[in-house]
Amino acid sequence: MSKSRPVYQPFRIDPAGRAHLLVTDLSHPTEVENIETWVVHVVAPGIQAQGYSPRAFRSVADLLLTLTSRLAREPVGFRLYAVGTEPFLWDVNNVARAAGLGNGEIFLTHAGSLKRRVYCSHCKTMNEDVTENIVKCRGCGANLFVRDHFSRRLAAYMGVAVDAEVPGEIPQAEVIYP
Amino acid sequence: MIVRIANVLAISETIKRIVLEAADGSVLPAAAPGAHIMLNIPGPGRVWKNAYSLVSSGSAYEIIVRRVVHSRGGSAWLHDHAEIGEKIEISLPANLFPIARTAQKHLLLSAGIGITPFLAYVPVLRAQEKKFEWHHCCKLVDAPAFAAVFPPGREARLHTGRNSLNLETLLERQKLNTHLYVCGPAEFMDAAVAMSKKLGWPGAKIHTESFGGATGGAPFSVKLAKSNVTVDVGPEESLLEALENAGLNPPSLCRGGACGECELPVLAGTLDHHDHFLSEAQRQSGTSMMTCVSRAKTPELVLDF
Repeated sequence: MSKSRPVYQPFRIDPAGRAHLLVTDLSHPTEVENIETWVVHVVAPGIQAQGYSPRAFRSVADLLLTLTSRLAREPVGFRLYAVGTEPFLWDVNNVARAAGLGNGEIFLTHAGSLKRRVYCSHCKTMNEDVTENIVKCRGCGANLFVRDHFSRRLAAYMGVAVDAEVPGEIPQAEVIYP
Repeated sequence: MIVRIANVLAISETIKRIVLEAADGSVLPAAAPGAHIMLNIPGPGRVWKNAYSLVSSGSAYEIIVRRVVHSRGGSAWLHDHAEIGEKIEISLPANLFPIARTAQKHLLLSAGIGITPFLAYVPVLRAQEKKFEWHHCCKLVDAPAFAAVFPPGREARLHTGRNSLNLETLLERQKLNTHLYVCGPAEFMDAAVAMSKKLGWPGAKIHTESFGGATGGAPFSVKLAKSNVTVDVGPEESLLEALENAGLNPPSLCRGGACGECELPVLAGTLDHHDHFLSEAQRQSGTSMMTCVSRAKTPELVLDF
């Protein structure tokens, strides 16, 4: 196991907080509490059954933009919980850190797909929704091996040309991040 | 490190500013805001080791010393005997209370002589154009003295009335980008930290500094299992000082129960904890103690040292 891979805690409400917000990119999150919840795209029926309605956003980018202005207004005592896929968690984390939140104020819980965002170390293109161990970079076309090297700043795994030693020798890709 | 007292300025009857310079004329090692030095103060038959925050930053060392009402000797000596030209031994500066780099706003809370580290903070915060707010509380009688050293400007406020600073209102309205720094007497620090925790401040954003917790107490004797000696701790000295006076070399740094450096494992005896370092669970377990401020409730204590 690579040391740069984040370790996540199970979802839990921090009772020391005065206000709580949960943001998720899952359509059917199982980690649900009776707190303010923001979702992407769909209003999950599972959440509505809890007796309150989550706020839905058109896209992750839209949610993050609203989150930025919300965090600038919130007083101390606020707790932010992100539940979902890894790229989403770290995008939320980066928005929160920029707003001044620190350890004990942001909680990340990985759930749903294991898909990875892959950063091409040759052309700097971000490749989204990668589920296989080898991906063809949308920027430069290189066949990238998806390493276990995670960058929190980029919220992405590093991808390097798999055939750098012997050009053209590309192993069969396998789905290992479903 | 030997320094020379370059200047002594009386701020009030009980508060003095002391300026130190290297005895050999060299440049003193630079210290960041929040740093403290330990002075070896010569006393009759013993040496007092007192920690003082530097009120200056950079390579000029200035400290502000209040004469403690029931002084164990250190502050009284500095008030009565410290004269220009006198040489004194000090430790290198150590910083257990640095300005948090990631904070976007800094909220400083001090009371009484806890003003000192923030006097070093303010010029640096201003030079770096950082947002800050400082509230200093003191007794009415001390107000003129503190006003004399207090920096001008709207960010810094002096509170003299008993209830003129409403901690709850102040701490409640702070934004998420703010870090809190507290320095002052134990009751003030405990109140500020308890209120901030109640309002949901995360521990990582609460920074505290305290000195002078070693006030003495009932005498006891301590048996050192590894060193195989027994040391008596008098009513006027701390356990740490007693160990040092016995020729031992126990670990220490802040001497105020804040840093955790002087922690020693306890094998037997009931403890009287006065530190800010151990958690409640660690205190209950009774298996370790901070020798700089904590004492024994039993006549004898056994340490694994």
